[in-house]
Amino acid sequence: MEVTVLPEVTWLGVVIKAVIILAIISAIAGFGTYLERKVLAFMQRRLGPMHVGPYGLLQILADGIKLFTKEDIVPQNANKLIFQVAPAITAATAFIALSAVPVFPDFTIPEFIPLLGGTFVPSMAADLNIGVLFILGMMAAGLYGPLLAGMAQANKWGILGSARTAIQFLSYEVVTGLSILAPIMLVGSLSLIEFNDYQAGGIGSWMMWQQPVALILFLIAGFAETNRTPFDLLEHEAEVVSGYATEYSGMRWGMFFIGEYANMITISVLAAVIFAGGYNDLGFLAGWFVIILKIAFFFFLMLWVRAAWPHVRPDQLMWLCWKVLMPIAVINVVITGFVMMA
Amino acid sequence: MSLEEFKNRNIGKQNYVKLDLEHTPQTPLGRFSRVVRRTLKGELFVGLYVTLREMINALFRGEMHTVKYPLEKLPISPRYRAIHDMLRLLESGHYRCIGCGLCEKICISNCIRMDTRYDENQRKEVSEYTINFGRCIFCGYCAEVCPELAIVHGGRYETASEQRASFSIFEDMLTPVDALKQQKEYDGFGAVSPNADENIKKTPLAY
Amino acid sequence: MSNEITIKIDGIEYKTKEGEYILNAARANNVFIPAICYLTRCSPTLACRICLVEADGKRVYACNAKAKEGMEITTSTPDILEERRAIMEVYDVNHPLQCGVCDQSGECELQNYTLEIGVDSQSYAIPDTKRETKDWSSVLHYDAGLCIVCERCVTVCKDMIGDAAIKTGPRGGEALPKEYKESMPKDAYAMWNKLQKSIIVPSNGSEFTNCSDCGECTAVCPVGALVSRDFIYKSNAWELEQIPATCAHCSNGCQIFYEVKHTSITDPTPKIYRVTNEWNYVSLCGSGRFAYDFENRVEGKDAEAFARAVEALQKADTIRFNSVITNEEALMLQTLKEKFGKKLVNNDAYAFGKFLSTYGKAAGKMLYGSDLKSITSSDFVISVGAALRNDNPNARYAFNNIQKMNKGAGLYFHPVADTVISDLGKNVMSMIHKPGLEEAALYLVLDLFSDKEKLPEATRSYLESFHKKGTRTVTEKVMEEVTETVVDEATGESKEVTKKVPKSVSKEVEFEINELASMLGGSDDFADAFEKMMAKKESFSLIVGEDLYFHPKAENLARLVALIESTSAINIVMIPPKTNSLGVALICDLDDAAEGYTVGYNENGDFRLSALGNGDLDMPALNQQEGTLTNINKLVVPTNAALGYNGYVLNDLMNALGCGEELTVAWTPKLASKRGFEAHCFDDLPNGYTNSGAEQRGYALVDLHRRAGEEGVEEFDGSIALEGEIAYRCNPQRQFNDFTDKSHEIFEAFALYASSTKAEELGAKVEVDFGSERRVFDVVADERMEGNIVKVPDFRSADDIYGLFGENRFKNVTIRKV
Repeated sequence: MEVTVLPEVTWLGVVIKAVIILAIISAIAGFGTYLERKVLAFMQRRLGPMHVGPYGLLQILADGIKLFTKEDIVPQNANKLIFQVAPAITAATAFIALSAVPVFPDFTIPEFIPLLGGTFVPSMAADLNIGVLFILGMMAAGLYGPLLAGMAQANKWGILGSARTAIQFLSYEVVTGLSILAPIMLVGSLSLIEFNDYQAGGIGSWMMWQQPVALILFLIAGFAETNRTPFDLLEHEAEVVSGYATEYSGMRWGMFFIGEYANMITISVLAAVIFAGGYNDLGFLAGWFVIILKIAFFFFLMLWVRAAWPHVRPDQLMWLCWKVLMPIAVINVVITGFVMMA
Repeated sequence: MSLEEFKNRNIGKQNYVKLDLEHTPQTPLGRFSRVVRRTLKGELFVGLYVTLREMINALFRGEMHTVKYPLEKLPISPRYRAIHDMLRLLESGHYRCIGCGLCEKICISNCIRMDTRYDENQRKEVSEYTINFGRCIFCGYCAEVCPELAIVHGGRYETASEQRASFSIFEDMLTPVDALKQQKEYDGFGAVSPNADENIKKTPLAY
Repeated sequence: MSNEITIKIDGIEYKTKEGEYILNAARANNVFIPAICYLTRCSPTLACRICLVEADGKRVYACNAKAKEGMEITTSTPDILEERRAIMEVYDVNHPLQCGVCDQSGECELQNYTLEIGVDSQSYAIPDTKRETKDWSSVLHYDAGLCIVCERCVTVCKDMIGDAAIKTGPRGGEALPKEYKESMPKDAYAMWNKLQKSIIVPSNGSEFTNCSDCGECTAVCPVGALVSRDFIYKSNAWELEQIPATCAHCSNGCQIFYEVKHTSITDPTPKIYRVTNEWNYVSLCGSGRFAYDFENRVEGKDAEAFARAVEALQKADTIRFNSVITNEEALMLQTLKEKFGKKLVNNDAYAFGKFLSTYGKAAGKMLYGSDLKSITSSDFVISVGAALRNDNPNARYAFNNIQKMNKGAGLYFHPVADTVISDLGKNVMSMIHKPGLEEAALYLVLDLFSDKEKLPEATRSYLESFHKKGTRTVTEKVMEEVTETVVDEATGESKEVTKKVPKSVSKEVEFEINELASMLGGSDDFADAFEKMMAKKESFSLIVGEDLYFHPKAENLARLVALIESTSAINIVMIPPKTNSLGVALICDLDDAAEGYTVGYNENGDFRLSALGNGDLDMPALNQQEGTLTNINKLVVPTNAALGYNGYVLNDLMNALGCGEELTVAWTPKLASKRGFEAHCFDDLPNGYTNSGAEQRGYALVDLHRRAGEEGVEEFDGSIALEGEIAYRCNPQRQFNDFTDKSHEIFEAFALYASSTKAEELGAKVEVDFGSERRVFDVVADERMEGNIVKVPDFRSADDIYGLFGENRFKNVTIRKV
């Protein structure tokens, strides 16, 4: 592995990278809501947002202005501190998880820019050697947001939302870890870059061909992790009004969403890097373009599934994860081990 | 009619296909195999296919449902019952209303009022006519009962206004004189039925 | 007449009276027989022929055939149904299809019967004739195009009203096609034949009716041909809410319906659009029908004026009022008298009350013995001292109805000749006498009708003293038999024929002269004429009018009336001078003159309570209040508020004075404290008629009987007879009081009324010197008056005409042209 070619990663570079992630991913998360509304609309043969800006593109801006200017209400009997902190946990953990994800290629700020000129900005803010574990860990920690939010707001729908969060938490985490264990065994590293390099041999070397079961398990677990349909139990409005978010308004409510969309991006990136060949060039297509296409596909898949599928009950989720997916994952790991030893 | 027949009287031929509701499997293995069966049966992918197909239809085949309402409007049925129109006689341009008061009588929300008087030409003149649209329920009885086809329901369904009075004056509902040529006969409630001629008996006239 | 018989209609047995028309018998038993031209209290017209029924197998007209014991009547056979259907089809021929604008639409009998008979196609046709729309008078509008010539208007005008102002005239229509005679049902053809030839026209040959403008013809018109000019195209019948009430204008207290609707689109306050009546059982006069908008519209309660009114009532010595008030109000005023010693002054009720009590003392009871309704069934009617046309139109209708329906006769004693009365029938004799000779008139009645055995000796010989013998030459027609030889042209045979030929013979006849009759304007052959009038007469009635109450010898007149009632078969009815004079006279103890500080209620005073809108405190008019009125028929009848009233009522004043009730109608049961009245709650009083025509309105006053007085009658005083220029206090037709004057459809002016010749002589404007005062009046010619006496109306209370005339209704005046 030749990593020494890269210039030294300075603290300034990391900060700049962090700011870039924060700014761009927040914006993309916002844009994600727009995409989701559009895609769902098209699938229902509607137009979706159309009136703010061309094709409703400025809808995000309008929503942002609305969220920022809305009154921030804290219920009378709520635990104020926790109530206020909870959304921050969701958003923060989502971004922290992203710090270990290679979001953009690395680059050096040109010399003519004063002050920051010459600074090297790495592709990931923290190139940890346990990248995958860190990401999954941080995303799992992100569920403390809904859990605390639901319990802090003194609202029965909120409590129900929290309970469902706990169930979900307990269900998918096992599957996520186990499903990704087999690819890790194959690659022999936790670094995402290693994963990328492992699949450098074109489409045929993609992990998903070797580990199709792991891909499916990972996607299922990923959907659950990001509260997407069919596992949007936490805030399913037909059952628990808005679950943990019932009492939230304004930007605090918005932060949950930013967190959710950031997580969606994270899962998409992971799926693309671990199973779909990462940012290796694909024929004449450049690596950076290929990975954007892959991320976009997994993101689209989440919206697509939301448009097509009904959601499951909490007990079905738990039953599914523990009694179906976990055994399959374990068997997958065992079979992978036997194959490797053989 | 027996009770059974009575209860089923609206069901028709009863040729319904029943849903194939399988029994919930009782054993863990049964349940597991059901998951596998359902997964492999591809129903989930049918769902994905359908939504994707609709998206493609909408985007590329012009099958979008949305009507951008204030900018584009769907044509409404001639039987739609919106704000009333008062029609004029095509020949003379005089309004058709003769002030018979039947609409006032039949109006179930009691929102029509008229004042009539004996005019200089020895005719009954409608001096004032209003419909209180705050009360009108647009049932169409007035158009139905009108013997002169004078009051009809128009297509003006956008009835939000700062003042109710904006709609309710006789002159407002009356076809403008210069738009007489565009005046259409009403096809909905109270219009002459297509077979009206068959139902009428001729009265002999001696001149 | 009251023999009950049993008839069978369509197989079901019903009870009815002998001599009742089949139609009325059926109606009284709620059996439907179609009829268009028939009016209950008038003679059958036989114009519509639709009331055909089969009685004992024979086709008869139900309106014209009398029921007989055991008669079996079938109301519809296939033949009759065919006939009716043809009749309705004929009525629909050329009837304009303008129900949409027609005023009668919704209550139109042509519509109703066309539907009832089920006319859904037309078999007949004839070219139409142009028929003009005409305004017959200030109130009548006739649309000949709509007219179906049922002649109900003609019938009611002749048989009930007595004007006979309209008749059928030539229509100018084409003759019916001959083939119809064979093809059509017989009665329908006959009806059409008549219909096609006639139309209604004023009977005086002009374009205009010279009539009383009562509008009864518009009420009875089954279609929209006759409507009032004011009402035309104003409102549909179904929009109007009918409020049963009692007419507030004259003492007859007719049952009417105020028909009320919102004023206009912009003004939701109710307004009276017209007055209707149960025309089969009640006939209204022009005031009743057209004087309805006399309400006092008040914005709200004027507390300041109210406070002043309370103060004024507290310091008042006298309350002056007239009789256009309810019994309840009269009782309130009487309470004020009893509690606070206020004097009550009411000119009309005072005179009437005094007359009534003198009569009562002499007769041993409180009230006159009969009423208008029962005298209508008599066949000889006498009127003394009443200007029948003006004082009480229904008394005149009764007078007329007796002539027309009972083949009756009438004697009309009055100083002012009235062509309407003398034209009512050939058996009506008008006795035009000098004012002041009413005593003589009553003596003549006594002489003519009383049982001489019953009379006191003095009176009998007094009457005897007027009888003289005389001779005169009369020409008589004698039938003489003449025998002729006639040759039959056809056969050439000759034969003798005996014929009777009239021949005039003169001869000297000795006859009896009644000086009383001569004195009263009777002709020389009064005795003969009277004998003719008396032929076949069985029941007699006497209408006594206001002239007798306002008379220097009123007490003697009252005793004479009592004497007539006790010694003859005559039924007496007295006309109370104003709306509720009878009620006020019974309820209030009235004083003869005002003194000190006076509060006037609709009358002059230092403080004026007024329902006319011009007083110091507003009061509700009679169409704005609930209460009861006592009418000429001695009934206490309820009236309802047709319109709301926002201001203070008399009861509020009573409350402020500490002796009020919660509501005005809470006084109704308290009337029982007065003689004749009973304790009935207002809400329990009925106000309507049954299908048989029975009047169910309010309750009847109870007469009290006591020992008759001993005072005898005085001889009459011929010296009080007035000569020279005389004014008569009398209202024009359709005017009774301030309220009729206020109504917009009443056009009769406050002016001096004189016969045409007198009016010409007087010119347009005159000054009348009443001795105490001079007044200037316009002169209006009344074509139906004759003679030199002029009429001065009293309907404006502000002009205090009562004060000018004092205790007499006639007064010598000096009239100068101005």
